[in-house]
Amino acid sequence: MKSSIKILASILAASTALSIALPATSQEVSIATVVKISGIQWFNRMEEGVKQFAEDTGINAFQVGPAQADPQQQVALIEDMIAQGVSAIAVVPMSPEALEPVLKRARDAGIVVVSHEAASLQNVSYDIEAFQNEDFGANLMKNLAACLGGEGEYAVFVGSLTSQTHNQWVDGAIAYQEANFPDMVLVGDRNETFDDQQQAYEKAQEVLRAYPNIKGFQGSASTDVAGIGLAIEERGLEDSTCVAGTSLPSIAGQYLETGAVDMISFWDPSLAGYAMNKVAVMVMNGEEVTDGMDLGITGYNSVRLVDKVIFGQAFVEVTKENMADYPF
Amino acid sequence: MKKLFSKSFWIRNETLVAIVIIAFIIIASISDPRFLSMPTLTDLLRGGIVLGIFAVGVMVVLISGGIDVSFTAVAVFAMYTTTLFLVTFVPELSWYWAFGISMLIGAALGAINGIFIAWFGLPTLIVTLGTLSIYRGFLLTFVGSKLISNLPPDMRDFSRLMMFRNTNADGSFYSLPWAFAALVIVVIITWFILYRTTLGRSIFAIGGSIESARRIGINVRATQFFVYVYVGTLAGLAGIIYASMSRVANPFDLVGLELSVIAAVVLGGARLIGGYGTLTGTLLGVALIVIVRNSLIVIGIPSTWQSVAIGVLILVGTGLPAWQAKRAAARAS
Repeated sequence: MKSSIKILASILAASTALSIALPATSQEVSIATVVKISGIQWFNRMEEGVKQFAEDTGINAFQVGPAQADPQQQVALIEDMIAQGVSAIAVVPMSPEALEPVLKRARDAGIVVVSHEAASLQNVSYDIEAFQNEDFGANLMKNLAACLGGEGEYAVFVGSLTSQTHNQWVDGAIAYQEANFPDMVLVGDRNETFDDQQQAYEKAQEVLRAYPNIKGFQGSASTDVAGIGLAIEERGLEDSTCVAGTSLPSIAGQYLETGAVDMISFWDPSLAGYAMNKVAVMVMNGEEVTDGMDLGITGYNSVRLVDKVIFGQAFVEVTKENMADYPF
Repeated sequence: MKKLFSKSFWIRNETLVAIVIIAFIIIASISDPRFLSMPTLTDLLRGGIVLGIFAVGVMVVLISGGIDVSFTAVAVFAMYTTTLFLVTFVPELSWYWAFGISMLIGAALGAINGIFIAWFGLPTLIVTLGTLSIYRGFLLTFVGSKLISNLPPDMRDFSRLMMFRNTNADGSFYSLPWAFAALVIVVIITWFILYRTTLGRSIFAIGGSIESARRIGINVRATQFFVYVYVGTLAGLAGIIYASMSRVANPFDLVGLELSVIAAVVLGGARLIGGYGTLTGTLLGVALIVIVRNSLIVIGIPSTWQSVAIGVLILVGTGLPAWQAKRAAARAS
């Protein structure tokens, strides 16, 4: 009895060793894109980019993600990928710090690691950011100013006064307005909405009361413009005000339709997915990314390189007219 | 007239809260004369609907000598489950069905609280603290955690039903939605139950002293059970109104609001030890919280200071009456 268990165990051990060894020795190049969570529309969209890349290059590129947004599950998934012997890992970390050890193991095993939305990550060849935050905020302001005709009072909303990205967007926007549109006036403080649509709505109502001449709103959290849009719609101010901000068509769509929100912006995850895979292949081939390089992907035509972080200008502008192209 | 100038009138919570409200309005109108306007009034009434319905439910629980902190979880559970059900299976259903389903779910969850409290005799705070996280956890794990921004059309239309709508001088609108009528109806029904039925007298009695209530033949279990089912039903109603007015069903919403609601009710004079509470006081408490939450920009308090201002107000508003009561007690002895 005992010996049969031993035999069984050794067979099992041998077979698992074999299954690990097999893909590692095969010459096929494979790239795993590991995302924060699978099944949500944002990463479904990213998967389209990864599939497109696989189709364009014939490389075995695929996307995996944990069922729940949990850093530990992401670590386990990356360990699986190391065991499978993939050639490269493109990762969108849930929590960058939690991934450092496992990514180090991956690189020690000769796997190329590229990340997205994790500029602080150490154990990577490159990190890809869709844009520099100040540029993104300035672009929102450019659209808002165009809609306002370059004049009038405007207010800015942030999800949280402590959110670094939101405040960098707003910093960039205000700096752009001061440099280019002297006739526009920022009124009030940064309005904090706690990433909550209802709070954004109440703050917008209040701003409308406190500053009756206000014409423009810029939102940062994805729910900001939806809350502002509701307040605008209730007052029938769709045509006389302009609202621009970060959001997604699935959240702000109904307000884009009525004109309460005029323009939203975000970055297209499918392009980011494509870019990560492309850079991974470049690293595998020993090529280097340089400042001002053209990656051949929309929005990444002239990238900025700071240390090992690659910045594109990959923001998408969405209005009522083209919102149907982005069903997420 | 004599009653107006009697001493007891001036130290009542209702009076104090009303004075604070008036003072606040005066400060706000001095710093910005446009504060006194119809749009401000309709915005504030609109902002008080959900908070008001919650507060009425909480007041009934406080009168009965208990406390309920799970009502926000009940509300979000009922609201989200109802919306998801409607969107998935019967998007064309009328809004009053949505309201009915949500209230039924709320009542069922309230009944669970009621069973633990009335039959197992567990402390109300412990039971509702437990169910608060159970209901919310269950919702997020098994029902869903995704924002629904495409509400059933009829729920969206409900939020557009206006009691009246008028145009400002600058061409913008102000309006009061029919959802406000829900708060009025809830207040009337609750007034009727509390002051015109034996059940209402029983609620006051068990809040005063459970033992005495039992000895004079009040069915304590049935009364307690009713109270938690009632607050659950109101929570279900408030939840669905919240979702249709904000035109989004967000499973992460509402929970976290419970302390503001309880603060509003306590500001209005309801006692945490039970047996006392008035609808007038509760509504004044709600009015104060809503006015403060919605007027800090007008007064010019910076964003970072707004939560400090709210905290100070709650501390002063609830602390002053408590301090006065203590002084009165010391003088009497």
